[in-house]
Amino acid sequence: MSFLPAGSYREGDSILHKMDPFCKLLCTLLFLTAVILSDTFPGYLLGAAGLLAVTMVSRLGLRTALSGVKRMWLFFCLILLMNTAFFETEQTWWEWWIFRFSADGLIQGLQVVLRVAMAMVLGNLLLSASSPLELVGAMESLMYPLKFVGVPIRDVAMILGVAIQFIPAFSEEAETIRKAQTARGARFESRKLSEKAGSVVPLVVPIFLAAFRRADELAMAMEARGYRRTKGKIRKRRRHLSPADGIGLLLCVLFCAAEVLL
Amino acid sequence: MKQLTYVKKAILTAACIALCVVLPMAFHAIPNAGNIYCPMHMPVLLCGLVCGWPFGLLCGVAGPVLSSLFTGMPSMAYLPSMIIELAAYGLTAGLVMRFVHTKKTMADLYISLVAALLAGRIVAGASRALIFASGSYSMEAWITSYFVTALPGLLIQLALLPAIAFALEKARLIPVRYPRTAG
Repeated sequence: MSFLPAGSYREGDSILHKMDPFCKLLCTLLFLTAVILSDTFPGYLLGAAGLLAVTMVSRLGLRTALSGVKRMWLFFCLILLMNTAFFETEQTWWEWWIFRFSADGLIQGLQVVLRVAMAMVLGNLLLSASSPLELVGAMESLMYPLKFVGVPIRDVAMILGVAIQFIPAFSEEAETIRKAQTARGARFESRKLSEKAGSVVPLVVPIFLAAFRRADELAMAMEARGYRRTKGKIRKRRRHLSPADGIGLLLCVLFCAAEVLL
Repeated sequence: MKQLTYVKKAILTAACIALCVVLPMAFHAIPNAGNIYCPMHMPVLLCGLVCGWPFGLLCGVAGPVLSSLFTGMPSMAYLPSMIIELAAYGLTAGLVMRFVHTKKTMADLYISLVAALLAGRIVAGASRALIFASGSYSMEAWITSYFVTALPGLLIQLALLPAIAFALEKARLIPVRYPRTAG
């Protein structure tokens, strides 16, 4: 399968795997904030070093961490090229027609690419080191304040957990359907808009039907086993933070502060 | 099937959220299709139409967030505005579908779809003008980006979504809106 999404759970016994999922989610959000805030060269260097350290701690390997980024290389090249060619600036290298190639544009493009790539690696590491069930629990804890405005957080967390588990299955199904329709003569690569639009119908309708069929089967199985809407009080589980959780959170706060200062 | 149960609505919403991640990836195989067809809009609109406004709203919020986490798209810079736009689609599609009853499924679907597509675009434009690009966002930019560039996507959504809804009805995966009474 050529486009299985990055971030599928990989079992392991690293510190990252053993960390409390809620703590992991909080650390990821802090790290993400730091990555978004950074806009200087030392800031990006620190971000990259931090990500490398987390990858080493997770024992998932660079290949796993970068798997999503590698698939986006064409998009990154496009962003870089567009920023270099169209960025509004006074100092340009070379101008022709609507194109204004400049160093400022190249720097702007590099910043966008670096931020997106680092955010992708971060998301990838979180999803690879946390099982879907752990993530559901963590999301439920994170959404706990929403309970006070009437949001059924346990149901929302369940929906998100099921959605995460559906993604690899639907990806595989979508790829199979695409290949089958290509074999039947669908012209996805055509330059004509009408042919392109026509080719979308045999791709989208079966994907929706397959997805809804799978969802229907799961819903029936859940109802048959007595799953009902969550009502009443939600007991908040008491969480005991391990030293690794505390150290992880502290490091992320320090990292965020360092990025702001840099 | 008379009505969708709460559990079924929840699982269908989960499927639509997953499709928000999968469909854009599948469309990446078609050159420039992501910009033209806006594939993430389709599951959100369908979720609102089939499951109702709370589920449509959830799908509109969670879909882009999960997609951003899994695939990096939309990028963090565009994520907030996209969440607002998609949430408006899901919410409006569900709300209008709930209150409009013309006795014709096709008419209900089209009224809800057009209302949702318009409301989503107005909310997205307003959010850009007031929050994300305050002072530098013009009416021309709004019309160009949301109606001219996205015109093929708009037409395809208007053509495809009712077709998908009818296909799902025919496959008995969602209930018939106006069941024929015997006699």
